[in-house]
Amino acid sequence: MELCILGSGPGGYVAAIKAAQLGAKVTVIEEDEVGGTCLNYGCIPTKTLLASTEALSMAKNIASYGINFVGEVTPNMQKIIDRKNSVVSTQVKGIRGLFKSWGITLKEGRGTFISENQIKITSKNGLEEIITADKFIIATGSRPANIPIFPFDGKRIISSADALNLTEIPKSMLIVGAGVIGCEFACIYKELGSEVNIVEMMPRAIATEDTEVSALLEKELKKKKIKLHTDVKVEKVDVDENGVHASLSNGKTLSAEIALVSIGRAFNTDNIGLDKAGIKIAPRGFIIVDKFLVTSNPNVYAIGDVSGGMLLAHVASKEGLVAAKNIMGAAIVMDHSVVPAAIFTSPEIASVGLRQHQAEEQGIKFHVGHFQYRGLGKAHAMGEITGFFKVISDAATDKILGVHIVGAHAADIIHEAAVAMKNGITVKELADTIHAHPTLAEGLMEASEDVHGEAVHVPKK
Amino acid sequence: MNPNDVLYHKEHTWVRVSGKKATIGITDHAQDALGDIVYIDLPEVDTEIEANSEMSEIESTKATSPVIAPVSGTITEVNEELEDAPEIINESPYDKGWIVVVEMSNPDEADELLISSDYDALVEAEK
Repeated sequence: MELCILGSGPGGYVAAIKAAQLGAKVTVIEEDEVGGTCLNYGCIPTKTLLASTEALSMAKNIASYGINFVGEVTPNMQKIIDRKNSVVSTQVKGIRGLFKSWGITLKEGRGTFISENQIKITSKNGLEEIITADKFIIATGSRPANIPIFPFDGKRIISSADALNLTEIPKSMLIVGAGVIGCEFACIYKELGSEVNIVEMMPRAIATEDTEVSALLEKELKKKKIKLHTDVKVEKVDVDENGVHASLSNGKTLSAEIALVSIGRAFNTDNIGLDKAGIKIAPRGFIIVDKFLVTSNPNVYAIGDVSGGMLLAHVASKEGLVAAKNIMGAAIVMDHSVVPAAIFTSPEIASVGLRQHQAEEQGIKFHVGHFQYRGLGKAHAMGEITGFFKVISDAATDKILGVHIVGAHAADIIHEAAVAMKNGITVKELADTIHAHPTLAEGLMEASEDVHGEAVHVPKK
Repeated sequence: MNPNDVLYHKEHTWVRVSGKKATIGITDHAQDALGDIVYIDLPEVDTEIEANSEMSEIESTKATSPVIAPVSGTITEVNEELEDAPEIINESPYDKGWIVVVEMSNPDEADELLISSDYDALVEAEK
């Protein structure tokens, strides 16, 4: 089996390793750097910057932990960026090392289908090479959507990728879009010292999450003095030597040194010869695949962002595994039923399954249980008492429909709920499971108990 | 003992009335029940509040709790000191820990409020 994979992000590189492990001869084509958006411009670099701003925040509050510190705590942006680059580079080397170890050929250049089973690779220095394979996986991902009224110039109007490499902290930043990316960068740059305004056309921040989650995040943004303007559109952006000036639909104008535009992503389907290979795309621009992740060309699979759905690195990786196994003879149906997701704002947010409003819209009879972080001894010990656990369960079966966590380490805790949901474990079974003390995960146990009014660490109602 | 110079709302807020001006805070019983206050979500000047509705939210190390407006009106002053030092409410609930001043839109609402002895009895009954 000769397999050629276009793109080496969290979808493509995972598929490559799995297929090689199963005995395929694998070639990966990458135009930029292995690891894709996730490793080079997304998940990993943002979390590395966040680690720096969390250290800064901890240092500013060090007295509250009983530590004397004399002197001034200030961020050094160049060193923060250097640290980020070093972390990314270590991870890139890791993937390159795994490729070498599993005998995967990495071809650096732009790959374009020229027929149903041939790809032409054009390297940076213009050399061309044509390769054939039995099967292909397209894993080209997505990029920040460039909206005509906010043309990225990399200086005044920037994308999330640009925001990872600002060597000077802007005095002020206007963020267009209060989605995941906008809110994460708002927290990072506010901590670094920028004055931050966020403009969102929807009525609430992170509008895809449960409304209680949005409400708590909005309150925390307010505490940080990040100004959030909801139900407002940016109609026009003017750039001059002083910065950017955004005219809003409510008649106001907001000015800032830099505008970060984070409103959606575009699929990387251009100029890769999809028409030559007979691969169809949906009206919204992503590649259409069936439940086995096969495109309209039976020898070509598509995974990750470029095939639409949930644009999440871990979904891409799982799709990569499924595609690789199917190419090597399996017939696995991709299961998107349980997908946990994390937002690395401060506080952290994680969710899996239904939001309460979705359960209501679907007419499901459900129960809800809550537990507050401030009810946990560990949260007090850590000095992180903001947040809550929310469990939504099916009233008839007691199975978990959705779990929402806001607070410290939410993204690590959510997987207990994901495993429970994937395996049909009931709320009672989760609540009956002994949880180690003192941990934050006890909150999920208590919220599960609260579904049936049985939580212990709550006052009498 | 709760002071005599203010009127009380059963949801544990107090009002000090002077003409159409009303200063609002939470009671000693409320601050004691909440424990150490770590944050108050202060409303902004010019915001209109409505009697018996939530006008703010207080967070303590134990709980988050709504602050129920005892009277209706437009906020004319906000105690900005609480922003950085919300613990003032614990230390001085009836004085330095005031939350907002409103221009009352319906001063008759004050007649519905409790005097200190009635409020003392209410708190005793809730115990």
